[in-house]
Amino acid sequence: MRILLAKDTPALLRKGSTARVAAEVPAKFAPGDRVIVRNFHPHGHTRAPRYIRCKPGIIDRDHGVFAFPDAHAHGKGPCPQHVYSVRFAARDVWGDDASPRDAIYIDLWDDYLDPAG
Amino acid sequence: MNGVHDFGGMDGLGPIDYETNEPVFHAEWERRVFALTLAMGCTGAWNLDMSRHARERTPPAEYLAASYYEIWLSGLERLLDETGLLSRAELDARVAALRAAAD
Repeated sequence: MRILLAKDTPALLRKGSTARVAAEVPAKFAPGDRVIVRNFHPHGHTRAPRYIRCKPGIIDRDHGVFAFPDAHAHGKGPCPQHVYSVRFAARDVWGDDASPRDAIYIDLWDDYLDPAG
Repeated sequence: MNGVHDFGGMDGLGPIDYETNEPVFHAEWERRVFALTLAMGCTGAWNLDMSRHARERTPPAEYLAASYYEIWLSGLERLLDETGLLSRAELDARVAALRAAAD
């Protein structure tokens, strides 16, 4: 077991840490692609908020490859995959009372998304 | 998991209180909880996603009534118990002893 010593703490905090994974993983989607968030309700950890499931969005940009929290939180390895900023029109999420000009951007992993048919 | 932590879009929770010049910590114990969480995370006994999941498994009523660092402490205690580093019984006994000494 590693022990964090007081003398090593400042350097560690300056360095920080990242969930980015240096792995070559093909991206399932590209900016501009239309997607739909999967309908899923796992008993374990997920970073896909409930309110966004089953909603249609558009890939805005590709952040690169990161550990997949749904697997990583349960000791199943990093399961690295692409994370995208996905744009959702506010009306597609909250209905007609929302402003037609508003949008929500959510960072979502490949396994949360299906191509919009 | 569809837990209470995932309350995006829920109504009735009241306004968010913004503090001007908000301090990093509001009390000394918060500083300690942050340091303990960081130090124990460095042991490698769990990863960041496991610690997030431990926090969101705080019982719902407790979660909604807890402050930010109370939830961090709840998550840390759960991980310590589950990894066998410090059992709930050991923790409770220590808290009881400190409380008795303080009385």
